[in-house]
Order: sequence, then structure tokens, then C-alpha cells
Amino acid sequence: MKISYNWLSEYVAHEYSPEDLAHALTMSGLEVEEILHLGPSLDGVFVGRVVSVRPHPNADRLTLCDIDLGTGELIPIVCGAPNVATDQRVPVATIGTHLTIDDKVLKIKKSKIRGQTSMGMICAEDELGLSDDHSGIMVLSGNAVIGEPLLDYMEREGKKLNDTVLDIAITPNRADATSHIGVARDVSALQNVPLKRPEITIPSDGGETTQHIKVDIECPDLCRRYAAVIVTGVKVGPSPAWLKQRLEAIELRSINNVVDATNYVMYECGQPLHAFDYDRIAEQRIVVRESVKDEEFTTLDGKKHLLPEGVVLICDGERPVAIGGIMGGENSEVDETTSNVLIEGAWFCPSRTRKSARALGMSTDASYRFERGVDTDSQAWATVRVAALIAELGGGSVTSGIVDAHPGPPKATRLDLRVARVPKILGIRIPRKDILRILTSLGFDPQEACDTISCTIPSYRPDIHLEIDLIEEIARIYGFHQIKAQQSAPLPVSVPVTRPIDLLRERVHAYLNGHGFREIYTNSLLPDEQALQFSQAVTAADYPPVRTLNAVSRSMATLRPSLLPGMLNVMQHNANHGRRALRFYELGHVFHLSGHEAAFIENYSEYEVLLFGISGPVRPQSWDSSIPLADFFDIKGDVEKLLSLLNLDFLQMEPSVVPTDITAHHITLSVNEKWIGTIARLSDEIQAAYDLPDPVFFATFNWTRLALICEEQPAAVYSPVPRYPVVERDIAMVVDSQQPVGDMIKKIREAGRKLLKNVDIFDIYTGKGIAPGKKSVAFSLRFGANRTLRDQEIDHVVQNIVTTLSAQFDAELRA
Amino acid sequence: METNLENLKTVAATFSEEIAGAKLDTPAKSEEFRIRFLGQRRGVIPKLFKTIPDLPKQDRRSAGQLLNALRKEAQTALESAIEQHRVKTTNTWDIDLTLPGRRSQWAGSRHPITLALAKITDIFKHMGFAIAEGPEIEDDWHNFTALNFPADHPARDMQDTLFVEEPGKGRAGAMMRTHTSPVQIRTMMAGEPPFRLIAPGRVFRNEAITYKSYCLFHQVEGLVVDEGVTMADLKHTLAGFARAFFGDEVKMRFRPSFFPFTEPSGEVDIWWDLPDHPEGGRWMEILGSGMVHPNVLEAVGIDSERYTGYAFGMGIERPAMLRYGIDDIRVFYENDVRFLAQF
Repeated sequence: MKISYNWLSEYVAHEYSPEDLAHALTMSGLEVEEILHLGPSLDGVFVGRVVSVRPHPNADRLTLCDIDLGTGELIPIVCGAPNVATDQRVPVATIGTHLTIDDKVLKIKKSKIRGQTSMGMICAEDELGLSDDHSGIMVLSGNAVIGEPLLDYMEREGKKLNDTVLDIAITPNRADATSHIGVARDVSALQNVPLKRPEITIPSDGGETTQHIKVDIECPDLCRRYAAVIVTGVKVGPSPAWLKQRLEAIELRSINNVVDATNYVMYECGQPLHAFDYDRIAEQRIVVRESVKDEEFTTLDGKKHLLPEGVVLICDGERPVAIGGIMGGENSEVDETTSNVLIEGAWFCPSRTRKSARALGMSTDASYRFERGVDTDSQAWATVRVAALIAELGGGSVTSGIVDAHPGPPKATRLDLRVARVPKILGIRIPRKDILRILTSLGFDPQEACDTISCTIPSYRPDIHLEIDLIEEIARIYGFHQIKAQQSAPLPVSVPVTRPIDLLRERVHAYLNGHGFREIYTNSLLPDEQALQFSQAVTAADYPPVRTLNAVSRSMATLRPSLLPGMLNVMQHNANHGRRALRFYELGHVFHLSGHEAAFIENYSEYEVLLFGISGPVRPQSWDSSIPLADFFDIKGDVEKLLSLLNLDFLQMEPSVVPTDITAHHITLSVNEKWIGTIARLSDEIQAAYDLPDPVFFATFNWTRLALICEEQPAAVYSPVPRYPVVERDIAMVVDSQQPVGDMIKKIREAGRKLLKNVDIFDIYTGKGIAPGKKSVAFSLRFGANRTLRDQEIDHVVQNIVTTLSAQFDAELRA
Repeated sequence: METNLENLKTVAATFSEEIAGAKLDTPAKSEEFRIRFLGQRRGVIPKLFKTIPDLPKQDRRSAGQLLNALRKEAQTALESAIEQHRVKTTNTWDIDLTLPGRRSQWAGSRHPITLALAKITDIFKHMGFAIAEGPEIEDDWHNFTALNFPADHPARDMQDTLFVEEPGKGRAGAMMRTHTSPVQIRTMMAGEPPFRLIAPGRVFRNEAITYKSYCLFHQVEGLVVDEGVTMADLKHTLAGFARAFFGDEVKMRFRPSFFPFTEPSGEVDIWWDLPDHPEGGRWMEILGSGMVHPNVLEAVGIDSERYTGYAFGMGIERPAMLRYGIDDIRVFYENDVRFLAQF
């Protein structure tokens, strides 16, 4: 909200410069976001003396003047004003000056007017932007010093030409600060000087006004008070310069004297006001009621609204004439033909105003204030104040008395402050006299008892409910800078230990970074189609994704059910920018409706996922070997190593060469039938859809579950390292070429029992020497024990392995 | 030719000359030489040995000596050649050290937001804070009500909320959390004071994506609740944090503000030097904080007379952008490798 420095200064005699004021307000809770300097530029306008005036030879209405600007020589100016006379001190715009007249910029140049040279311009007040007066040139007092800048003279005369506007970010609690008087109240507390509110005499309910207008409030909870006054015989027209200047300073457009007066008083005291054309109010009465569903109403901005139920409507005897607290109606608007004005000053319920404004998609200066909570006691004051102003500006007269419908006047609420509580919250002792002074100047009327200070909550502070609110008021005015930071703090007894999941995350980051993966952060919100496409990608679970209800764009319609689409977007982006080798990972939350995970919020499952993926060359280029493209066994190897690092080698792996919508082939990892992760090759169709040149392989894990399994693992127990030599044996077995090798390894492990420590495969061969339809698989076996092994023992085990393989897989030992 | 000693001597002399003149400068030539002179089957010297029994008895001894000497010559020549080759191939001078190293992998990297989060959590860990986390889908109670946001209050407009569908009901109840503050509530509901924790995480705002705003960002929330906690403790923690994060020279200010869940509330600005700025720099807001509102403590069943506490929250992207001079928030989520490789 914009606050004019000059306007504010009418209500409080402070000593701040505009910059100091901005700083003081910021440091006491009204953050000034911007400081704007305003005002007519009087650069190039100087005080001159009219030395002589002669008639213009070629024009009756013009005169030729010689002007002394204190430069030692006289300058000739052609002047058209009737009041110019010798010896006057006048403002002179010199050559090169820019003047703004009626929104047009005029540059003063040396010119010839009807054959006579003119070297400047003697100005009227309107030409300088000082007033609307164009009756003649401005004549300065004898105090004006010849040759001095006009601005200096004006300031000496006490006329403020320039203004500074502070743009304040009002926090939602500070309803009281949405006006100049409200801000001035803080200033008065900060500077310990009194607040000066305009003196207004408020008549009591009754008088002539009540004969012309009747007010019925049918919903007193939503409209607690409705004050009305009538101004008769008003001439609606433009506002005077001072009023325009006030409003334009805070970036309000001047409309006419009546509307401008209501805005002026609203920005003065925070009470929104509305002016109706009294002659368009049927039956001379106002009824305040709630709307019924689908009532139609056209607001004064010309927009037609279909109202929901429960909007507060101001009606006359026949129809609605305004939406209470939000905007007036077209049917009762004040225009040039208006002569009698009905003024409304009311209080509307904050939450209902907010609800209605949102439902109607409207936000006005009035709704902004009512939503926050307008002073419950400013209605009569503001109504009388604006009526007087309209009468002054438009030449009308105010009906005597007032209608002040006030069904349930609020009782003053008292609130006790325990003095001892202040240091318990703030950590400093504030002298009691300072507490009293601050509370007094903010209007809390503090009364001292022994341990407490009893306060009255002012009608303009709907945000104050509790003792803690009073402590905040004291703190912000006393100054947060006075609170000294503790120099040391006690160490807590329970020292927090790093959670296992954080340690695990750290290890996975380190592992993946070491293996050339770069971490990415992708959007949690996806277009709906993309979310649907990938919702069953990896978990194989059939749960629908979670849609948003009010997303600002279609691209953020649905929560990600998988990290995969995000990574594919990133792969596509980088491939488009010429990168072939792609290795990325992400840790992030995914979402499903209902579901299998213990849910924080009922009906939604949410868990963390680890995804890593590769595509393109498997290693950086080298000068002595060629680099293959990544394949399935690269990602599988990365997974196996990771699982080994986390001591999770026991996970079950279930391969499947059956393509899914997303994958060409995949391996499912699980523990006790529970899905833990998937290793897969992306389907060629999706690879092509993302314009990726090389096959994509990825591994994805339910990280939440994986971390839990890690946590549940028993702590490592040392087993002594064997000191005896190991024995290695190689065997090559010829089997059917379709025989999965994984199954053979499993059987070898079983057959090798305790002595077999390790199985590796060092060759898979088909071709010469091997029958068609067969392959030779060469295993390297490592045996060991806590004693020296005898050859016969090993021979026996190897024989057992060979026999098992022969029996299970129809394998033959290769000669 | 007839086999006699004289002939043998002539042949040996010829071979001897050939051996002396052989240029064994490559391993291939050496091998050829070995086969020609010393090969078991076809080598000329073994062949000559086989002729010895054909000689008269008295000459056999001389012939043996002659051929042994010849074989020695061939062997010496061969060994010396092999030694030459060996020396040549392991010559430690003959290596181009400027060739690039063989890299088994590219460099990996962590995302700058992870790095910034880690830096922040690290500072608070050193100050004795534990880490807590919570869900990104929240309900109204945890995200707003328990945090003292009244229904239909403009305070709710401070955060544009993204609501999610509720299965089977079609009304808005669940939402993407707008801040990490619900983690405060969850933690306090689950335990007893004292609390001293930070909660890092992803939060959502229903805003269009532009260079300066994204529909989500990351926050770190802090909470301390204990007996005797005051604003002086809050200032201590925040000042300590600012010095650790921005350096000992950091200029900061603490000014009143408003958050529904803290009272009094304050924001921390730090002075950021900007050489092109007319005032040489400007205040940048980096975090919001305050004393935990008694309504929040009461909502989670904590006696607000006995316990007091403070809370604070800060975004990650904004200070990270300040630090690294990033002027477009979208680059964080674009994940261009040329960007990721800079951190």
C-alpha cells in the first residue's frame, strides 16, 4: 500500500526524513519495499523581476516584458497574461526547461511571437503544476530573491511541492495500518509524539437524515454497523488540485469530487465508504441482506455477476444496489447528473467478505480492508467526515443527524499483560515506563495493577487477542535490535545422532557420483498424459496417479507417480544439446492414490524413490581402446555393486523378457515378495519418443522401503579372516544355448556348499568345436576354508558340481 | 659334400661369419635367426651336430668343439639381441606422459540444491539440531489449522495453495504442503519437549513458472521448544547461522513481520553488495522466524505457559541463486549437464 510522506505528516509531527521514516517503519513491522520521489520538476524555473512592460506592436493581448534574472542582463519575454505589471516578482521558465501542462510536455525554446523575440516564459500556477489556477501569472511575494530557483522560494514559504511515497507491504494482521492515520499511529509511538486526528463532531443517531433514509440490517453478524448521511445539492465535477495531488501520489485515478472524497477518507482512516445517487435509491430505504443463489447483479465496472448464496447485498426498496464491502452497483452510481448523495459507512464481516470476493474473482480497495478487519468504530466518524468534505467540494449541504444502525455494539475487551512474561518471551527486560508509553501511544489505554498491566483492545486492532500479541506490539516498537543475541547456549542432553536414512543417502550419493552419475532435480508435477503413461511403469502396481484440482497450467496437472519421465525429459534436453553419454540419478517423492505404503494422509501413498539411468557410451573416450555403448549388464552391474555396498546381496531378482508398456525387458528386485526395485531397458518406442539415439537402461528403487530394510539389518559382526590359501579351479560346461546361466550359478553354489567361496564366469563360447544349439560356459571356482584343503577334497566337490550340472541342465564337461 | 673335418670347418666359418653379421634389430628377426641356427628340427647347427657320428673317430672330438663354439656364438648373438629388445621395450624414457589418463568413468556430481541443503543442515547439526522429514501431500489441519491459520483469513493468501483431488469425494481437503512447517506439527505430536530440529524438504506454490518463480522450491524449517527459550536464543541461532553460511563479515538485520504460527514474528535480511546498485547493494530477505505461537503449542498439546520455543524457515533456491549469481530459477530444474558440472 502506498503512503504519502506529506499526507502522513498532517497527522503526526515527526522528525523523520522520508528515508529515515522508511527505515523506522521497516524496522517496526511495516516493511517499506520501495521509496518513490514525486513532484513537479521546477528545474530551470527561477524568480525574476518584471523590469518593464510594453504593449506588443502586433497583438493587442500580448505584452513585451523585460525580465531581470539577476544575471546582469535583461531578457525579453512575450507574455499573454492580463495581470503582468512592472516590479512584480514572477516565476520564469528559462530556455531548455520542461514543463508538464495538461499531461503534455512543453519545452521552452527561444522563439518569435508575432515578430518579437521571446526568451522564456512567465508562468501561471497551473503551468507549474502547483494548482489549477490559470487566471494569470503567479505573482510571488517580496521575499522572493531575484535569480533564486523557484523551489527554494516555495520551500521557504512553507509550500510542499515534492512528495515521497512509501510502498508498504502490509502483513495480513495489520488491518489498522491500511491508512495514513494508521501508519501515523505507529510513527507517533516510535517518536513519542501525539497523533493528530481531524476533529469531527459526530451527531447521535437521529435527526433530519432519518426522515430521508431508513436502514434495515437483516444479517447483523455480517454487517454489524451501517451509518448513512445524505448530502443534498451537490455539483458533481472534477476534484480540486490538492485532492487530485493526494490521490495521484498514491496512484489512485481521480474520478470526480464525490468518489475522490470517499477514496480520500478511506486512505485517511481506513474505513471504506460508498456514495450512492440518492435519487436512484427506491423507497428511501436500505436493506442489508444475504444473496440467494443465482441472483444477478451488475457492478459499477459494468460487469454482470451471477451471485452465489450468502453474498452480503445492499438493497433499496426494490433491488440490490451494491455488493457489501466489495463494490457498488451500476444502477445507483454517482455521475454528473447526481445532485443528492447518500453516503454509506459500514462494517462487513472479514471472512464473508473474503469468501465472496474470491467467489466473484474480485479484489477491491474496500474488500482488501474488510477482509483484514476494519475498525469497528470508524463508520460514523468517516461518514460524517466524508459528507462534510463532499459538501465543501461540491457545494452541497449535509442533512443534519445521522442514521447509525448498530445492532450489537461490541463491548470493549480488556486484556491483561503480566509484566514478568515479557522477558520470558523476549529475553530482555524492558522498563515498565517504556511498556506503558508504547501501549498508550498505540491506543491500548494501559492501567497498572501490581504484576499486570490491564489493556483495552482498540476497535482498530482486530488482530490482538492474547497477551502474546501485546508482547509483540511492545517488541516491535521498542525495537528488535534491542534484543541482544544470547552469547552462548546450553548444550542439549540428548545429542541428536544422524539418522540411518541420512547416512545411507550420503553413501548412495558418494557411490553414484563415483560411478559418473550426476544428480538431477525434476518437477513433481507432470502433464496428466505423461503421469498416466508412467503410472504403472515400475511398481507394476495398478494405482491411479494423484491429480491436482487448481493447477495454473496443464503441464502441472498431476503428481508424478514415477521419477522416470522427469529423467527422460532431462536426457532428451541434454541429448538435444549434443551430449551422447547420459548418466543421471534422482532421489524424490512419488505419489499414488490409495496404495500399498503406510500413508501419512489417508488415501494417498507417497514414498521416496531412487532412480538412476544410463544411455550412450559406457565410459569416456580413450586413445587405446574403443568404448562400447552401455547395455543391460552395465546397469545391472551398477545395481549389484550398490546392493553389495549396502549389504543387501540377498534381494531376490526375477528376470522377465516379456516387454511392458515401458520396458523391453527387466528384472524385478524384491524381498519377501515385496517390490523393492526394477532394473530395465526402456522400450524402443519410448526411447524414440524422447529422441534418444541410444538404448536407455535404468534402475529404480522404493528408497523408503530399501532404507527400512537396511536399517533392520543386524549390525555387522566380525568373522576372522581365513589365513589359509585358497584354491582355484576352472571348469567349462557345454549346455543348451538357451540355458540361463544364473540358474547354473545357483546350483553350483548349492553343490559347492561351504567350501565354495566364489563363482565367476570368464567365458561364454559358441562356434567351432561346440555343437550347434549349444554353448560352452566357463566358470572359475574359488575354494577356501579355515584349514589347508586337500586336493582330493576339492576334486570331490568339483566332481559333485559337474554331476549336479549334468543332472540339472543336461550339461557336459567340455574336454 | 663329403663329410670330413675340413668341410665342416669351412661350413662353420661361413656360418660364423653369417652369425657375426646378422642384424637382429627386431624380435621377429631374432626369432628367424633362432630357428635358422638353433631350431630343434631344422636349425643348421643341430643339423651339423647330427653329422658328427659320420666323421672318422679321431675327428669327432675336434668337430664337437668346433660346433659347440659355433652354437655358443649363435646363442650369445641371440641372447644379446633379446636383451636389446627387452631393454628397448621397457625403456622408462620412452613414454608420452602428456597423453590423457585412462578414465574409467566421468565425474559425477550432486545437484546444487542438494549441496546448499547439505551446507545448511550441516551448520544446524553442529548446533545440536536433529533432522526430521514429512510428506509432501498434507492435509489442511497440519498445513494450516494447527499452525494458527484461521479459515477464510487473508493469511492463507500469502501462500498460493495447490490442492489435490480426494478419491471418491471430489472436494478439496488435501494439498501440496506450502511450507515445511507441518513437519513441526508432526514432530511435536509424536513426542515430548524438548525439541530441537530442522526439517528440509520440497514445498509447493500454485504459481506459473517464470524466471523468478517455480511451482515448487525447497525449504529448511527449524524448531526449538524447551523451557526458558526466548527471542534472544532465536537471535543467537540466526546470527550464528548467518555467519556460518555467509561468512563472519555478514551484515544482517532482524525486523518485525507476521506469520500466523509465530508471535512475535521477524524476518532476517542480509546486506548484499551490488556494485551496479545506486546504494551499493540492498537488503535481501533470507528467512522468516519468530517465537512459536501459543495456539500452535496448545494445538499439539504442549503447555504454552511452561514451554516456549522459536521456529524459523528459509528457502534454499534464493540464497543459492544469490551465492552463485543465478538469475533464472528454472535452470535448477532443467538439469543441463553444462550447469550441473559447475558445482
